[in-house]
Amino acid sequence: MRIYIKPEDPVFIISLRYREYVGRNTIGELASVEERVSGVKISLDSEIDLGDTLKSLWDMYGRDRVEQAGRMDIMVTGVDPEALKKIKIRDKAIDVGGKINELATRIIPEGFRVRTVIRRKNMLTIIAAEDPIRDEWKKVAEKLEAEIAC
Amino acid sequence: MLKYLLFEGGLYRHEMIIEYLEDVGGFVVQKNVAGLDLIMNLAVPEEELSGLQLIVQELKGKLTVAPLIGIEVAVVAPTLSRHHLPHPSCDVAENLRRHGAKTNIIGLARGVGQKIVHSSPKERELLEEHDIAVFTLGNFEHCLSNFKPLLFKELAIPVIVTGGPFLEGIPGAQGYVGGIGRYPERARTGDMIDKLRSVSELAGKVVDERRRELDLDPLVVDPIVVKEEVERQIPESKEALSPNPVTLKIDGLRIKLPFDDYRERVAAVVVEGRKLSDVATIKKSLMRNYILVKMLPESMFQ
Repeated sequence: MRIYIKPEDPVFIISLRYREYVGRNTIGELASVEERVSGVKISLDSEIDLGDTLKSLWDMYGRDRVEQAGRMDIMVTGVDPEALKKIKIRDKAIDVGGKINELATRIIPEGFRVRTVIRRKNMLTIIAAEDPIRDEWKKVAEKLEAEIAC
Repeated sequence: MLKYLLFEGGLYRHEMIIEYLEDVGGFVVQKNVAGLDLIMNLAVPEEELSGLQLIVQELKGKLTVAPLIGIEVAVVAPTLSRHHLPHPSCDVAENLRRHGAKTNIIGLARGVGQKIVHSSPKERELLEEHDIAVFTLGNFEHCLSNFKPLLFKELAIPVIVTGGPFLEGIPGAQGYVGGIGRYPERARTGDMIDKLRSVSELAGKVVDERRRELDLDPLVVDPIVVKEEVERQIPESKEALSPNPVTLKIDGLRIKLPFDDYRERVAAVVVEGRKLSDVATIKKSLMRNYILVKMLPESMFQ
């Protein structure tokens, strides 16, 4: 992420590069599932899926049979591991672009209401000012983009 | 002159304090009971303070000087959006409350930017219902020094400003505290809490100054006496669901009852042998139609 601030103009430019989250949806794709004596242990690969996974399991098996055992671990009792692997935790993949957009909007000072948004693949740049956007600011934005591009 | 103090201690035998205050002409401004703990805002004549300290010592309580008791502070954010709320404004307000103040958080409609920044006459009128205004502004020095004074330059009440950069002061404001700009989480570190405390200390100094000014032309009746009488003669005022239903202000009261229904009863309250309407102006507040009572100074009757 790169930010250019010049309150005297005033202009605020933010450029962000992000990685799209791969749209895996079933527990089998997102975690390793292991059968144990006390039940089935789900070890998630990423914490980002914890909320959705818990919600789906609670809906399906109830709170009594699903227990969060750690930051990324969940224990489920009395279930078939193969059936568990097929459970879909969400209908759509996570919209990282949308979340990044929201983040940028929160960072940009509120008074800078004239905005130009430049979207490229995995990249978001917003030029925000109080006056119409000038060409020189667009050049600065391009420079910021070049700095963070891989 | 009354001295304002915060008592923290137990509920057990706290009546001793109340009785002492009644004997020496002091007041209980606010009383909060939480389980067996008790927090009271007290006002006691300065010369009777040592007697009170002895009782508090006996009860093993804690007594701290809190000049912000009896003060209504407006904590003003440039807008009501996520950029400026909740953290800086709520942290500042919470610390002011810890020092005895009653706070109201107000968000302006257009307090942001350099070109669109302004406050409307109605907003200014609402702010002037308070004793002090604390503006919680952002991080840009250029903005703070050159454009934001527009927000408070016409206000008739003292103004304190908080912001990100460390500046000597801001034109039009009585005080400035740096290091409290926009921040996205609650103030937890000792360093941040010290900064919040310095806002409250600065507010205390501004209030002391205002009280000294008032002493040059004192009010006909001390608002705290009026508060006691209003609560005694209009019992509904104590039962209103709003927090602190009869709020003490430096030169009056805010009574949290509907203006149209209670105006006449408030006007008819007898204080030191005179009708309240004879010694105060009573008007409708811009905040939820509450009743605002502003005591008149003695010079008006000479």
